[in-house]
Amino acid sequence: MIPVCPLRSLPRGEAFRLDADPPIAVFHTEDGEIYAIDDTCTHQDASLADGWLEGCEVECPLHASRFDLRTGKVDSPPAKLPVRTHTVVVEADTIYVIPSQEPRP
Amino acid sequence: MSLPPSLPPSLVATLPGAYYTDPGVFARECERVFESMWFCAVRASDLPKPGAFRTVQVGRESILVTRARDGSARAFYNVCRHRGARLRTEESGEARRAFQCPYHAWTYDFDGRLVAAPNLTKMPDLDRVEYGLVNVAVREWLGYVWVCLAEEPPSFEEDVLGEVRTRLGDVASLDNYDVAGLALGRRIRYDVAANWKLIVENFMECYHCATIHPELTEVLPEFAGGYAAQYYVGHGALFGEEIRGFTVDGSEGLDRIPGIREDQDRRYYAITIKPQVFVNMVPDHVIVHRMFPLAVDRTVVECDWLYLPEVVEAGRDVSRSVELFHRVNEQDFDACERTQPSMSSRTYARGGVLVPSEHHIGLFHDWVRGRLSEGGGDAG
Repeated sequence: MIPVCPLRSLPRGEAFRLDADPPIAVFHTEDGEIYAIDDTCTHQDASLADGWLEGCEVECPLHASRFDLRTGKVDSPPAKLPVRTHTVVVEADTIYVIPSQEPRP
Repeated sequence: MSLPPSLPPSLVATLPGAYYTDPGVFARECERVFESMWFCAVRASDLPKPGAFRTVQVGRESILVTRARDGSARAFYNVCRHRGARLRTEESGEARRAFQCPYHAWTYDFDGRLVAAPNLTKMPDLDRVEYGLVNVAVREWLGYVWVCLAEEPPSFEEDVLGEVRTRLGDVASLDNYDVAGLALGRRIRYDVAANWKLIVENFMECYHCATIHPELTEVLPEFAGGYAAQYYVGHGALFGEEIRGFTVDGSEGLDRIPGIREDQDRRYYAITIKPQVFVNMVPDHVIVHRMFPLAVDRTVVECDWLYLPEVVEAGRDVSRSVELFHRVNEQDFDACERTQPSMSSRTYARGGVLVPSEHHIGLFHDWVRGRLSEGGGDAG
């Protein structure tokens, strides 16, 4: 379990890029949910934490493929492969992630 | 000014012909005038929301004018910081999320900050503000976004408002028209094959009015005397006795702007805000010309007719009102285009002459020479 940041430092609508290997993007949605996915778009090296968060989806800032934060699935090209999702734990007002053990697609 | 020795006292020399034809002079004007002074770029209502943008030519630079998410106007050089591709080539449009360079996808938010680029996270030493779009100074005034490319912009109050004071005596006389609160009734764009200074000089004098502006002279009979409203300070040209409104046939105009003084009623006022703006005020509307000098012999002029918002919203017929100054514009620009080719004639090498009712144009010429001869200039 990797500590990410204090809960209060990630307001709704924002994202945090955890410089792990590989990096992980943590999102706090407008609805108050917290999700973690692989940060790097599967099409080109772009940080999804820099993308546009809308509902439970993030749009890659470079070429607009959208990833579902709950499943990691991508909606449309140019990205074709999904990203992995990671487990989020909030304990004592701190956000943690448990990285997925699955291989990257 | 260098007067030829033989000039009689009634006459003052104009600028030599080369000032209107030499691309080198135009390049210096771009540097020391258009890229150094405040430049009226875009009607604020043409940027209705964040991401709405216009691209405008200011001197030799393409400038991207937009609105940030907080609603404030922003302007940037339309140049990607990576390899220099032009970000937007359209004259206007709306960016949904960001300005993205179509070449390598460097992506900037509406504040100009670099928000994304391929491999950006592998370059943590690349500062996203430092490598953001290059900012241009911005002011909103009269319902227009004004930009200034100078690294240290001159005082807006002195340079721009100062022109209003010089012409009207005070700024309040213009504030009465609430130009920012007026709505765009009509816009006409003129592509004029003439040097920008010919257009300024034409606007400053009325020696030509009785000859080329029959409709205008009918509405403003004193113009037949050859003295423009701009010859004086605080002077508005009075409408003729039979004239009911500032329209092509002297018929009734639209609703009067409520803030104007009684003594501003039934009068036409004009201001030249150097280097590229003309403001014309009549009781029921304000006409604003913005010039975009594109080459030594080409100037695009955008002319806006502004009325009370309720007049525009109700779809009232402004055609007779617009037609008057549209004809004036066409008559003026035809005259400028007739003049431009002669600027390279050997007979005009030393320029022409100004008659007494045009002598104030000599001040404009002194000003141009002054800007061009200034030491280094303050252009970037």
